[in-house]
Amino acid sequence: MPDIEAIKSEAKRLLSEGMVEVMLAFKAGETPLHPQPAFFRTPDDVDELVYSSLNQNNLATYLTRLPKESKVSMVVRGCENRSVNALVVEKQKSRDNLYLIGVPCEGILDWRKIVAKAGEAVKSVNESEQEVMVESRSGYYLVERKELLHDSCMRCSHPNPVSADILIGEPLAESDSNLAREAVEEFEALSVKERYAWFRKEAERCIRCYACREACPMCYCTECFVDHIEPRWTESGATPAGMQAWHIVRAFHQTGRCTSCGACERACPMDIKMTYLTEKLNHDMKEKYNFETGLDAQTKPPFATVTLDDKNRFMV
Amino acid sequence: MAERPGIALFQCQWCLFSPTDQDWVDNHLPNNIYLTKTPCTGRINPLYVLNAVQGGADGVMISGCLPEQCHFVTGNITARRQLEEFNDFLNHIGYEKQRVRFVWLDLQDRGMIQKELAAFEEELKNLGRAANLVTRMKVAEGEQNA
Repeated sequence: MPDIEAIKSEAKRLLSEGMVEVMLAFKAGETPLHPQPAFFRTPDDVDELVYSSLNQNNLATYLTRLPKESKVSMVVRGCENRSVNALVVEKQKSRDNLYLIGVPCEGILDWRKIVAKAGEAVKSVNESEQEVMVESRSGYYLVERKELLHDSCMRCSHPNPVSADILIGEPLAESDSNLAREAVEEFEALSVKERYAWFRKEAERCIRCYACREACPMCYCTECFVDHIEPRWTESGATPAGMQAWHIVRAFHQTGRCTSCGACERACPMDIKMTYLTEKLNHDMKEKYNFETGLDAQTKPPFATVTLDDKNRFMV
Repeated sequence: MAERPGIALFQCQWCLFSPTDQDWVDNHLPNNIYLTKTPCTGRINPLYVLNAVQGGADGVMISGCLPEQCHFVTGNITARRQLEEFNDFLNHIGYEKQRVRFVWLDLQDRGMIQKELAAFEEELKNLGRAANLVTRMKVAEGEQNA
């Protein structure tokens, strides 16, 4: 775990020197399992700052909601750093206005898995590098960290921030990048019928709350296609067609922009799986165009560029 | 299959250079083919393809110009990047990949589009009716699609 005091003192320094106007990080939430995103504007506020593996949100979401010119500092993990880079590529924020405090991430603990393990309300969670101590009313549970990690964090191959201004804590080992590919291949090995059955089962549970859209840093369109009534581009009612269209188009709009942070899945109140869609697109982008989102702040996503090589790809 | 498979044909308005082909596509298409003409393949939003699929098209054909022959220089290349990936993605969630076909026509070609459509229809007959992802409610005659 990174040193929380080091993060705090860096944050205080930035705010008191006036280098940034606002600091994006987490503070303790109302329940022990949900620290909440917070905006710190004065050095005194920073005392409330917390950092733990229970921080579910992707903080880059809030960058596009702050004024474009404001100077912002953030505590970023690997995935958040990549999201920030992707936003910089899309000119949503200037990199000069950002100061990133990087933290190597050991993976986000899925609160649903913790609750399932404890079977009742959880009083507190204490974590170390290997194990997590969960305290509930009936006693203590010592669980291996791996068992509680969120699915997309288990597949994560870039836990370290790639372009942070300052890194707090020791960089972790990059893990196997094949894990995400294996998940996609496993799903693709199913027959067409089974794949559709899975997709339909997931999509029909949707209650159209759009929490996935709000949680996603790349979903920043001022007017989403589903909110557009006239002309209606696609089915958007609470019908099977509308549900499926929402899941298809939401995922497809992330092609070459998704950083596999899994914030959409963690935000979903119906526990709908969504990363099997975006992982497939990410996998294709890597196979076809050798592109991974957010590894630097210059490369444009594949759909935004063309190369001379493209004409050889046509079936002539 | 008694009925002929329904095909949604998305067509770039520049790719049929010969007047006879153009006339055939405009006026003499069989009833099972639904034509949507676009200014360029680059204008074909993946949403259009999705609407066709959800509305019950057994196959989608996208016809455009060869690379370096695009009226708008790179429209067809960007379209191919997007639509090819969209096809892969639809296949991932259960719409057979063979049901979407791309045809890239040379300006010199004569009678290609008829041949391609016939071959595509033959393949769709073997595949049978599309069942997956066909969820859009049928619109009664004379009613507006909301």
